[in-house]
Amino acid sequence: MPKLVVKHLKKNFGDLEVLKDLNFEVEEGEVVCIIGPSGSGKSTFLRCMNRLEEITGGSVIIDGVDLADPSQNINKVRENIGMVFQHFNLFPHLTVLENIMLAPDELKDETSEETRKTALSLLETVGLSDKADVYPKSLSGGQKQRVAIARALAMKPDIMLFDEPTSALDPEMVGDVLEVMKKLAREGMTMLVVTHEMGFAKEVADHVVFMDEGYIMEEGTPDQVFNHPQNERTKDFLEKVLV
Amino acid sequence: MRKGKRIHSFILYSILFALFMGLGLPTVVQASESNAKKGTAQNPYIITTDITYPPFEFQNDKKEYVGIDADIINAIAKDQGFEIEFRPLNFSAGLQALEANQVDGMISAMSINPEREESFDFSDPYYEAGTVMAISENNKEIQSYDDLNGKTVAVKVGTTGATFVEKLQEKYSIKVNQFEDSATMYQDVVSGHSDAVFDDYPVMAYAIQQGLKLQLPLEPEKGDVYGFAVNKGQNAELLDMFNTGLANIKEDGTYDNIIDQYLDSDEKGSQNGFFALIQKNWRELLNGLSKTLLLTVISFAIALLFGVVLGFFAASPYAILRGISRLYVTIMRGLPMLVLAFFIYFSIPELLNIKLTAFIAGVATLTLSSAAYISEQVRGGIEAVSGGQLEAARSLGMSYGKSMVRVVIPQAIKIMIPSLINQFVITLKDTSILSIIGIVELTQAGKIIIARTYSSGSMWIIIGLIYILIITFLTWLSTFIERKMINA
Repeated sequence: MPKLVVKHLKKNFGDLEVLKDLNFEVEEGEVVCIIGPSGSGKSTFLRCMNRLEEITGGSVIIDGVDLADPSQNINKVRENIGMVFQHFNLFPHLTVLENIMLAPDELKDETSEETRKTALSLLETVGLSDKADVYPKSLSGGQKQRVAIARALAMKPDIMLFDEPTSALDPEMVGDVLEVMKKLAREGMTMLVVTHEMGFAKEVADHVVFMDEGYIMEEGTPDQVFNHPQNERTKDFLEKVLV
Repeated sequence: MRKGKRIHSFILYSILFALFMGLGLPTVVQASESNAKKGTAQNPYIITTDITYPPFEFQNDKKEYVGIDADIINAIAKDQGFEIEFRPLNFSAGLQALEANQVDGMISAMSINPEREESFDFSDPYYEAGTVMAISENNKEIQSYDDLNGKTVAVKVGTTGATFVEKLQEKYSIKVNQFEDSATMYQDVVSGHSDAVFDDYPVMAYAIQQGLKLQLPLEPEKGDVYGFAVNKGQNAELLDMFNTGLANIKEDGTYDNIIDQYLDSDEKGSQNGFFALIQKNWRELLNGLSKTLLLTVISFAIALLFGVVLGFFAASPYAILRGISRLYVTIMRGLPMLVLAFFIYFSIPELLNIKLTAFIAGVATLTLSSAAYISEQVRGGIEAVSGGQLEAARSLGMSYGKSMVRVVIPQAIKIMIPSLINQFVITLKDTSILSIIGIVELTQAGKIIIARTYSSGSMWIIIGLIYILIITFLTWLSTFIERKMINA
């Protein structure tokens, strides 16, 4: 059974139809990159995967649980879905370590010593062990995003959502963040990544989805989508971004 | 023997009668008391005066009743050898008490007129109080009513002075400024907005004696005469003694001494100096200030609680809570605080048939009003933090409540502190509006001192300085605390 199944997903903002009948599947351990021009609905699509956007119609089924069902305890579901935002959204009033420990402290049945150990080892994974006790404002953008990844991982999720994780970064910071993401992918994390980094998509993705105007226009392996696009829109888009 | 028997039965009946009367014991006791000679120390004449009406009656520093009325009746009592006891009541209550024989006499700057003569017997007039014109101390231009042509004159609404000026207007072109109270009216001339003022001679002469910077270029007009009154057909002896005594004290100079003491402007009071004003009134000012602070602290504390709840409503995901909050804020923001204070103090007791003290009404006014503004600041603080921060916390699986408590609120508080300090200062200043429902906070304390000393000019400077000092101090204190909190 697929890890994540999307059926007839619709999302409206008032009268505006942002997502129009999307169908989509992700297998466990798959890395899916979602590409497309801005305003195509890809971020909204991603945010429906943990119901940060209310779902207007259809269903999003993760491990057999339908997120669109209002009787589901969404908080419990979200514990298993990590999310990384374009603008990091670190908690500025907490240190790096506190940022990572906050949610497990609140929600997990572990001693705070265990939580602390996990947090420190995650910081090692993202290469920021020396920053445990500083406040986010003293970090560079790339460092902030790596902390944000560690924070999301602290809840031990089995799906990670990345919403344009490198778009707000200076070019020299992008590499470090992508490295961390590649490491995660290699370890078998199921990942949905909205991105403009075509290189990353080509190299890491198992599956690429091209979205435009609220539809999935084309999907397939990176080779299929990047080298043999079938849809005119995909061709147009790729021509512009791959110059 | 027959005669003796009759005497016996007379005594018997008398005893029986006395026993019978004994059932109405209080009546008997009262009767026996009123049998004691009236006007002695055991059974003094009860005299009513107004509570405060300077220079005729007012309490001095030692809480004794003094003034023209009080001093005259005391001097006459001494001259005639009877004892009196003052029972101060406001003027209309005094009239009712006299009519009901609860008091024996009334001396309260009361004009003798035909309507009153139907209910009361009056003494010979002991004072004539006519309207008089006053001008600024330095004014040399106005020496007669003719000089008023083209000038501006201040009057108090509904007084004989106002009526007199209306008559003058038939002859001269005079612009009139209307006032509700004497102190403000006098200040209008002192500060040069009006050129002259018309008021009762004794009240104005006393004000000038107290240091008001006005002068009286003309003699007073003929006016009402004041008399001492007893109930119709009662206490004729007291009335006789008053008339005889009045003649005596006029003859021996006591009367003139009394009048001069209160009205002679050559013996000017020196209390209008800036520091003398503070020195003489610091206790009253301090009481006013502590009332102001008490009102502020109590109101702000409750408003903070209430405002935070409403602010959370406003920032909540539930439309009904947001609606409640928005409705509340809309109503409170649309209501001038003065109207709100009147509504709470006058309308609510009438509508709900309850009693509210002015203090409680004042606290309610400030609380309800500040809570609306605080809730807006809380909402603003939460919204400034919300968005990405709330999403990040929610995406980790934390509930709305946990996310608010652990992530949003700690940041929102830091954002809100400066505007909350500001709101505290505004609340403190708004307490001055409550003087309108009679709470003696700092502003009202100032008004009261001015009503007594006629020193608007200096007094408002003093009051203003006190507000500035206390607010500056409190702002400094809260900035200090704020810095400590942020560094912590």
